[in-house]
This record gives sequence, structure tokens and C-alpha cells, in this order.
Amino acid sequence: MGDRFDVIVIGAGPAGSSAAYNLAKKGFRVALIERGRKPGSKNMFGGRVYAKPLEEAFDGLGKAPIHRWVVKERLSIVNKEEYVTVEYTGRGRKSFTTYLTDLTDWMAGRAVDAGATLITEVVVDRLLMRDGRVAGIVSGDDELEADVVVDAEGVNRLVLERSGLVERLTLRHVALGVKEVIKVDKGDIEKFFGLGEDEGLAWVFMGSVSDGLPGGGFFYTNRDSLSLGLVIYLEGAVQGMRRHIYDMVEELRIGPLFSRYVENGRIMEYSAHMIPADPRAIRPPRLVWDGLIVTGDAAGLLINMGYTYRGVDTAAYSGMLAAKAIEEADGDYSASRLKRYEEMLRNSYVGRDLEKFRGVHDLYMNPRLFNEYPALLTGLLRRLYEFDYEGYKFSKAFSEARRGLVSLPRIFLDLLEVYRKL
Amino acid sequence: MSSQAPEERKRRKIRLEDLLNNNIWDVDPRPHIKLDTSKCRDCNYKPCVLLCPTGCYTTHGDDVLFSYEGCVECGTCRVVCPEEAITWEYPRSGRGIHFRFS
Repeated sequence: MGDRFDVIVIGAGPAGSSAAYNLAKKGFRVALIERGRKPGSKNMFGGRVYAKPLEEAFDGLGKAPIHRWVVKERLSIVNKEEYVTVEYTGRGRKSFTTYLTDLTDWMAGRAVDAGATLITEVVVDRLLMRDGRVAGIVSGDDELEADVVVDAEGVNRLVLERSGLVERLTLRHVALGVKEVIKVDKGDIEKFFGLGEDEGLAWVFMGSVSDGLPGGGFFYTNRDSLSLGLVIYLEGAVQGMRRHIYDMVEELRIGPLFSRYVENGRIMEYSAHMIPADPRAIRPPRLVWDGLIVTGDAAGLLINMGYTYRGVDTAAYSGMLAAKAIEEADGDYSASRLKRYEEMLRNSYVGRDLEKFRGVHDLYMNPRLFNEYPALLTGLLRRLYEFDYEGYKFSKAFSEARRGLVSLPRIFLDLLEVYRKL
Repeated sequence: MSSQAPEERKRRKIRLEDLLNNNIWDVDPRPHIKLDTSKCRDCNYKPCVLLCPTGCYTTHGDDVLFSYEGCVECGTCRVVCPEEAITWEYPRSGRGIHFRFS
């Protein structure tokens, strides 16, 4: 590692690869450092990415590994074996499904094609500090210097922690995502869900699937596989877990919602990753220091809109903005100069949506969302649809379903809260 | 196995070990996670046991038994450990989990 670089990027994930690509294309000498055997090998996500910001960050999607364009969205509220589903079929093609491992490899490839130097299998231990500013990175006995460092190390931000720039991760900061990728017949996917050859389905579900804990499930159709998984917020999980997280995912797979889709499938991979949770908690006090810019998950730039998560596009976009800020800094990488990054981020869709949806996390911490309301909803619909002779009037079905679960004023207040925060 | 109807077999859980057999690791001979097991005895919740997705933590009476080989490096154990008994580092030199389809 003898060469000198203008910029060192920690982590060849979506944020780091985007920063490296946008810097390299402007002629910066960039070292893109990745701890995995290749870019993507440590990355995991639910299953879909919004295309437009990626297109902007990488000047088109070219040969990006796109599996299916999402045209169908499903949201299910689950109460044991009963569930209520809302399905939307539209013109779609705003987001696509893929394996993040492959997509990340493509992104890092774009950076390399633009002239960045990719260094794999190197773990960055800490930042190299000189005269109170970040001057490079340290890995084992090696030091590598640069004028400015982009931290794109991901959610488990050990480098920032060790440097004392952020507090240690706590239960409020993160959630856990666990996923099974299941190989199935390509034609079956299209037949089961009424999809065209390159069309996909995104499905989110909430309720008893997380044993009533804050969290939810996801299901995505890839080209010839399905991604099925769960997200559990650690805040509620430490004392609330009733069974192993693996059992929860497996019982989901063989349960009433999914068994018919996956029963002829073969498991391809079982993965897990942390996810930024409460955006107000995980966001570092600042995103720039002298000689350092923080991007992506490490900066807590994940948006939970309530019915979908976005983290890959926001990461890539933040990497692009970091590159812009570095370019505009014109060699002066002091915090006051790099502040431009915070400003650009705040004024971008990333900052605006983070701000807009900042309260969604509080909704998720309401246990009634995962217990009482799914029971009320399925209880109501059961009464409305399932009868032998005599039917229910809606009002009667509702008051019966509600009995013992939640009071009317409580429902009113919770609805008001949902309306305000969503 | 043969006495069971195929339908029944399909709807059965896959054992965690068998799930994990689909993954690829290059295990670092030097453990990247260190657990101070003396702190585990008095831990009431032992949240690592149910929350580690790959079952690296198991209980034996009041003790916690630990193996790092199946770790997928999510980092959850360190965050949920109430005793701060876990020292967590990334595996060196490209070792550890190698995701391909996630």
C-alpha cells in the first residue's frame, strides 16, 4: 500500500462505490477499500432498489444486474393464519429486484472502470489522525494516507466508534434483518403472481409474523428465486423474543402465507444484516470532520416509510454528493469546507424524506400495531365474510371484533398518529 | 423420512445447520468475536441466544456456549449484549462469510 491517493473510501458498498465512481471520473486518485473477498460479499438487503437515484449516481444503469421491475405491491396485515392484503398493480418500473451482492459488484466495477483502485480483503481498523485531522486509514501495521477519507463502512460502523466520532451502537440504533433466498422455477413465479417475464412483486407484511414485536416481514420475487425475510427491532426484542429468530423465519416459510410458493424451492442462501432503525438516534452528530465525510448506512441514511425501506439508493446518492462536496472543496478538506456535503444532503430527496418520515419509527414502537390491530382487522373481516345464514351489519361486526382489544378513543388517537407520521 | 408423505416433508422446518450449509465461509482461524463467558452466568435475558441468526450462542445451564464459525457478521450480538461481554472485530483478509445471492 505504498501509493499515495487523493481520496480513500472505506467500504465498496453502494455508498462507497458511488463516491469512488464520481470522484474517479473527475480525475481524483481514489483507493476503494473493501474488507470482503469482492465487493458485495458482505452486503445484504431486503430485495428492491429504486432506480432513478442509482441512475443519476452511476450515469445510467447500463449492464446493472436487474432481475425484475416491480409492478405489484402487496401489504398484508397478519394475525396467525388469517391475513388481510392490499394489492396495488400499477405501471411500475420505478424499482427493481436483484441480489445486492451482484448489484454492489456492478457499482464497484463502475468505479474501477472510471479509474478507482479497488483494494479487497483489507479491514480498516481505524482512522489515521494527524494534527487533529483525518489523514488516512490504518489497517493492521499498514498506514495509508490521503487528503480526504470517505467513510462508507456500513451500519456496523466500528471505525467511527473507535475514533470516538459516534457513540457505541445501542438497541435504539438498529434492527436485525434475516433472509432466506429460495430458488424456484422462473415460470412458477410468473404464474403464481400474474407477472410478465421481467415483472416483479414486492410484498411487506406486519403483525403476528414478528410475534407481536416491532418489526415485519418482506418477500420479493427475483429472476428465478424468492427473497423471504424478517426485520426485528432490537429495542423490543431483547426482552420480548419468544423463540429463536431462525425459527420465526422458517415458520414463516412453511406457514400459510408462503408455503405454497416455496414448497418446491431450494434454499440458496441464509443471510443476516443490521439495519439503521431510529434515524434520530443513529445519525451521527455531524457527517463531516476535518478530512472526513460519512455516507450511507454509517450516516444512518435509511428511510423507513412505514410500508417500504430505502437504503441502497440513498446510500449511492450520498456517495455521489460526498464526491461533489470533495470536488467543490478544491483541496481544502476542512470540516467547514466539507459542510457543503451536509447542506447538499439536507436539500436532496434523501434529507427531505429522512425529515418527512422521521416519526415513522415511533409508530413502529407502538405494540398495538403488531398485536391488537391485526386481530381487530381480521376479526372484523371474518365476521363480514364468513357466515352460514345470517350476516353481520358492519357496525356490529366492528364492535364485536374490537371488544377486549382496544377502546374507540385509543383507535382514534392511534389513527391520528398514523395520519400525522406517515 | 421415507414413511412421510412428500407434502408433509415440504412443510417441515429445515434445521439451522442445514440452512447454513447453503452459505460459503472462509473461516478465519483467529476468532473475530471474543466472549467473556464469566459475564454470561448472571445475565438474565441472554438475548444473544435467540437473536443470533446463526445460533452461535447456546445455553448450557446458566452458561453460554459460543462458536464463531457460522457467524454471518451481522453484529447484532454485540449490540444486544447487556453485559458488554462481547469483543467484536471484522474477520481479517477477506475471511468470514461470502454472500452470493443476498
